[in-house]
Formats: sequence, C-alpha cells, structure tokens
Amino acid sequence: MMQPMSAKELEYIVDSISNEDLLLKQCGVVATSATNQAIKQTCHQMINMHQQHIQTLVQSIQQHQQMAPSQPQN
Amino acid sequence: MNQQQSQQQPVSIQTLLPDHDMAYTVLADLKRVVREYATAATESSCQQIRQMFTQLTNDTLRMQGDLYNVMQQQGMYSTASPALRQEVDKQLQQQQQTQQKAQQHLQQIGLAGGQQNQQFQAYQQPQSQQQYQQ
Repeated sequence: MMQPMSAKELEYIVDSISNEDLLLKQCGVVATSATNQAIKQTCHQMINMHQQHIQTLVQSIQQHQQMAPSQPQN
Repeated sequence: MNQQQSQQQPVSIQTLLPDHDMAYTVLADLKRVVREYATAATESSCQQIRQMFTQLTNDTLRMQGDLYNVMQQQGMYSTASPALRQEVDKQLQQQQQTQQKAQQHLQQIGLAGGQQNQQFQAYQQPQSQQQYQQ
C-alpha cells in the first residue's frame, strides 16, 4: 500500500536528480573528449544508467503526486 | 560519439583536464552519490521509496566499482600499498580480544550459551562469518 511521500523524501529525490544530472553531463564530457578509449567507453555506457536513474526518480514523484495533501498535516 | 579532437585549438581539453583527472572527477562524484543514496534509503519512511534508494545505491556502487577497475587497468590509479605484516598481526590479536570480550559480555548478561571454553569461542564463530563473506 502506497503512502504519501514525506517532505524529506521529496528533498532527497530532488537532490538526487541534481546529482544524476551532473553525473550525466560529466560522463558526456568524458565520453566525447577523453583520448583513452577504455575510459571513454565506460563513461559512454554510464550515460544510459544516469538517464534511467533520472527517469526512476521523476517517476517516483509522479507516483506520489495524487496522494500528496494540499494542506499541511498535524 | 563525435571523435573530433581539439588538437588544432591552442588549448585542448586534454591540456585543461587530462584523462585521469576527468575520470577521477566522475569517480569522486559516484562515491559521493553512493553515500547520499545510502543515507536517503536509511531515512525513507515510505517502503517504495526506500526500495528505490536501495536499488540506486547498488547501481551506483556497481558503476563506481566498474570505473575504478577500468582506471586501475589503465594505470590511472596506483594500487594501495599493502598493510604491513607486523600491523596485521597486532590488529588481529587486538580485534580477536575485542570479539572475545563481546562474547563474554553476552554470556554475563545471559544471552549466549556459556558452556564452551571462552578462548575457543572466537575460533568457532567464523562458521557464521564465512556465510557473510561468500
């Protein structure tokens, strides 16, 4: 049974999206500019993972959207 | 991916930030993000969100490990120097004592079967420890 997300959880999710966004861009820089092929390839592969993570995090906000109260509780 | 390098430009990105530094910034951020995900998991009250953060912790930990391995294979990360035998011997002895005292403590408060010789208990415990290591 799904419960509403806490304010703290929402903040962690938002911070996590910033982290993933930064990692995605950093990996993009390495994937395009590194001369070492092994490093280049590893970072290229990681881009997909970070994209998936962002998607998962955004979806978790979406899933809890309807349950969120419009008035402060207690 | 675009293979074009900036060799013709006066200052290439390679000069600005060499490969190993670039890789290291990603590695350092992955380490930080693993910790943040683990903290988020421990502080989540919603079961689904806790599961999500646990999964993200594991995924990120794996990526960090993969990148570390590649960096090490490419000679970008010097292997950590081994702990000296003398120090390992000393710590092993001290930590076995700690383990033994914990066992004695449990016996004193009546939470452990106290029939066995206490000295040997530390050596009999590893049966359960092996399960965790494998």
